[in-house]
Amino acid sequence: MAGSSVDVATPAVTFACGHCGASLGFAGVRTETCPYCASPNFVERPPGANQPRPELVVAFTGDAAGARRKLDLWLGTRTWFADSRIKRARIEDLRGVYVPAYLYSAVAHTDYTASIGEHYTELETYETTDAQGNKKTETRSVTRTEYRSLAGHHVGYVTDVIVSASAGLANAELQAVEPYDLLQLRRYSPAVVAGWIAEEFSRAPDDCRRVSRAEAVDEVGLRLRRFMPGDSHSDLSWRTTVAWESLDPILVPVWVLAVRYRDDRSPLRVVINGQTGAIAGKVPLAWWKVTLGIVVAAAVIAAVIFAISQHGGQPG
Amino acid sequence: MTACTRCETALEDGDLRCVICAFPVPATARPSDGKPRAQVLRCGDCGAAVAFSAEAKAPRCGFCGQAMAIEQPVDPIETAQLRLPFSVDRDAAEAAARGWLARRGWFAPKALSSEAVLESLTPLSWAAWLVNAEALVTWAADSDAGANRSAWAPHAGQVSLRFHNIVVPASRGLREAEARLLIPYYELGRAVGIDRPLGAGEVASTVESFDAQRSAARRYVQDAIEATAKVRIEPQIPGRRYRNVHVACLLERQTTDRIVLPAWVLAYRYRGNPYRAIVHGQRPEVVFGKSPIDWGKVGKLVAVVALIAAAVALIVLLAPRQRPPADQEPLRDAVIVDGD
Repeated sequence: MAGSSVDVATPAVTFACGHCGASLGFAGVRTETCPYCASPNFVERPPGANQPRPELVVAFTGDAAGARRKLDLWLGTRTWFADSRIKRARIEDLRGVYVPAYLYSAVAHTDYTASIGEHYTELETYETTDAQGNKKTETRSVTRTEYRSLAGHHVGYVTDVIVSASAGLANAELQAVEPYDLLQLRRYSPAVVAGWIAEEFSRAPDDCRRVSRAEAVDEVGLRLRRFMPGDSHSDLSWRTTVAWESLDPILVPVWVLAVRYRDDRSPLRVVINGQTGAIAGKVPLAWWKVTLGIVVAAAVIAAVIFAISQHGGQPG
Repeated sequence: MTACTRCETALEDGDLRCVICAFPVPATARPSDGKPRAQVLRCGDCGAAVAFSAEAKAPRCGFCGQAMAIEQPVDPIETAQLRLPFSVDRDAAEAAARGWLARRGWFAPKALSSEAVLESLTPLSWAAWLVNAEALVTWAADSDAGANRSAWAPHAGQVSLRFHNIVVPASRGLREAEARLLIPYYELGRAVGIDRPLGAGEVASTVESFDAQRSAARRYVQDAIEATAKVRIEPQIPGRRYRNVHVACLLERQTTDRIVLPAWVLAYRYRGNPYRAIVHGQRPEVVFGKSPIDWGKVGKLVAVVALIAAAVALIVLLAPRQRPPADQEPLRDAVIVDGD
């Protein structure tokens, strides 16, 4: 399914970021900085050859103002120790980008072994000493676990695995704002992305397939943990064989706030799911605020201790 | 009709991915491309979409009576192939609804059955998918077979099963929980083609549109088949007793029929507040819904319980304490006596 070299959607203008390496196409919009890292080192270049054509797309819901409101709410819930320059970022710094990704699904056959714990109760005798120092024997009911080995097979489809094919947005960053509601998937057409920034597919399909498989095996592991019988289990190990893999190029919507707030630091990047509004990012702290906070807290504690000690020294 | 290359499930108009295994459907395999899209009359309150009847000129939702809004979905609208005729007529449905109102229990207002105003009793044919599929089912469970010190021992296995006529709700007017209460009581063998003319005395109903996407049904289909598989694999589990039954299914060759199922939807008001109840379209004894609660009675009950609790506490507090026997007098007292 993947890998078609027909690229009807290739936009007229393609730019490459000299800082983070992202290649972005602009259909009806213009920008002078990279939306991923706010680098001004952003040069026009010819569109990449043999770009896979997206098969499917998850469309943006809402506009930049709505995304900004969510961002403000999110920043508000962060600590006031955040660097103020983040809050002063302009709404134009928030860019909507269709991020290239691959949608993976497969049939997973898994052989597993595990040690299954089955609880049972038995009476236990024990010695106790009373207040007079006399020893006596008593019984109590205790729960113990008997471990039995289990080997078996598990089957299922692993679907809806999305892996970033972007040079600008790492897979971990995309995962942080997943999931996308894939019931709203649409067939790709250039009209859907018109007016938005769309990044080219920058990662090789084979790389994305490898990452997808690893995610699929992790998903199987989660399912196996729920699948195990018994009261507990340990030593779960499994070997998964995937078959009938599909890897389709898709575009997913993301709002990116990239702010170069200091020349000596990497740009802050906050990523917002363009469909669900889920936000992820790491807000840099203003260390003078942290220091001030510690000094104020220490002063308050010292004042309280001093007041208590003074009060304690007075005759009652 | 084409089939999914991975699981051989039949693909239908508008499928972007297989509804069972999510295998993408190539654009060229979509028979619906270029077809006109329908408009849906959508209830702004409960989300139901009901086929619009020009004769009825009804701008209100048949499920909850709220105003409706027009919506244009991306995918084409499916249509029902089968319908299950009503075997409960209007009089029987109203009698069943009245009987249900009269049996609302102690917490319902005493005047409910007499003061409730039946606003409408609407015959509705709600949308559902009839799913047939094959599946490789792997299972794991505890049973008493091979038990040792514990009463349970773990077992695992796999079996191929066929599933026939699993009913999966496609209604947006009925809640899933309501549909699940109705489904077990339908006689699916009596289904007829949707185009078959109504017989004499047969109830004419409003037919709900199939506006839920088939792809949205994947979770429901998977859940419904896993629930059925849990029961079907029981003979495979060794021993007489079992617990912790888990199944994982690999569905294949699913086919889907669209059926509409009969139900009477009762909208009634009690002292100005709207309520809804559902009467099964084939079994009048199956009635459920919401009814008002007499909070005065609830308050009285709480007060009585609180009074009883207070009385018990008072009795316990005021009961005379029994002095311990002389030989168990505290040692401290004895020392004081000696000291005097």
